[in-house]
Amino acid sequence: MDSDQELIELVNEGDPDAFEALYWRYRDWVYRLAWRFTGNQQDTLDVLQETFIYLLGKFPGFSLTASMTTFLYPVVKHLSLAVRSKNRRFTTDEEILSELPAPVSKETGRSRSELAAVLTVLPDEQREVLLMRFVDDMSLKEIATALNIPIGTVKSRLHHALRTLRHDRRTRDYFLE
Amino acid sequence: MTERKEHFDEDLDLRVSAGFSEDLRTLFKPQLSVPSEVDRVVIDKCHQHFIPKHWSHRIFQHVSLWRIAAAAAVIIFAFSLNLTKKPGPSTSRSVLAEAQAVDIDRNGRVDILDAFKLARHIESANRHIESANRTDKKWDINEDGVVNGNDVDLVASAAVSLPLQKQGPG
Repeated sequence: MDSDQELIELVNEGDPDAFEALYWRYRDWVYRLAWRFTGNQQDTLDVLQETFIYLLGKFPGFSLTASMTTFLYPVVKHLSLAVRSKNRRFTTDEEILSELPAPVSKETGRSRSELAAVLTVLPDEQREVLLMRFVDDMSLKEIATALNIPIGTVKSRLHHALRTLRHDRRTRDYFLE
Repeated sequence: MTERKEHFDEDLDLRVSAGFSEDLRTLFKPQLSVPSEVDRVVIDKCHQHFIPKHWSHRIFQHVSLWRIAAAAAVIIFAFSLNLTKKPGPSTSRSVLAEAQAVDIDRNGRVDILDAFKLARHIESANRHIESANRTDKKWDINEDGVVNGNDVDLVASAAVSLPLQKQGPG
C-alpha cells in the first residue's frame, strides 16, 4: 500500500486514481469529524464533499508537511463552521451528546450516557483535544499542529480534561490505578 | 507533584482504559453511512479535475512527436541532397539576385536557365582541367574559390525561390 506521500506525488503528476485512494483512506475519518462538528447528516455530507474538493484544488503542487489528518482537521472544522453558519444551525458536539440515546455497554455495564454527561461539562477546548486524541487517534504533536497551538497547551488541556473525568464518579472506572 | 508530572508526561493517556476510546467512538459515531452518490460526486470531480491535464499532456506528447518527426524529415532530406558536405553560400540569395550575380545570361532575370548555363560551363571546364575559367570569379557565385556544383545549386535556388525582381526589357 502506498504511503500518503507517495499517493500525493502521484496525484501531483496527474493521477486521479491516487486521489481516489486518498479519498477512500480518509473518507470515514472526515465524515466522523464533520458529523461531530455539524451534528446532522446533510451538513456532514456537504462538509465531506467540500473537504475533498478543497483538497483536490490543491493539486498539482500540493506538499504535505505534516500528517494528512493534521492537514484535514482544520479544513473540516472551518468548513463545518461555515456550513453551520450558512444553514443557521447551531448544533455542537455538546448538543449531539445531549440528544444521544443511552445504550448500555455490554462489557462494563456502564451507561455511555454518563460518559456523555460528563463530557458536556468540559470546556470546548478541552473536549476538542480529548476527542482528537481518543477518537481521531491523533498524536499530541499532530493536535498541536492542527490547532496551531503549542504542544504544552495541548498537554495542559488534555490533562485537565482527563482529571475532570477521573474525579467524576460516573467516569472514574475508565482510569487505571 | 503527581499532577505536575502528569502535565508533562508524554504517556499520560496510557492510564486510560481501552474501553474509554471505544465508548467515545461509539458516542460520536455517525448514525448513517456515506451514500454512494456522495462518493460518486467526489470521484467524478476528481476525474474532471485531471482530464484537461491528461489531454494537454497527450497533446504535448503528439506535438513533440510531430516536432521530432519533422526534424527527422528535414535531416533526411538534407542528407538526400548531400547538403551536409557542401559549404554554405557566402552571399544571401536575395542579395545575389539583386546584384545580378546569378543572372548568368544577363537577360535581366534569374531563372533556371542561368543554372543550366552555369552547369554547362562547369561541365565544359571539367574537360579542360587547366582552364582559366575554372576559377573565374564571374562563375564563382558563392565566392568559395571554386566553381562547382555548389554554385549551380545556389543559382537554382535563387531561380526557384525568389520572385522575379526584374522584368525583361519590353
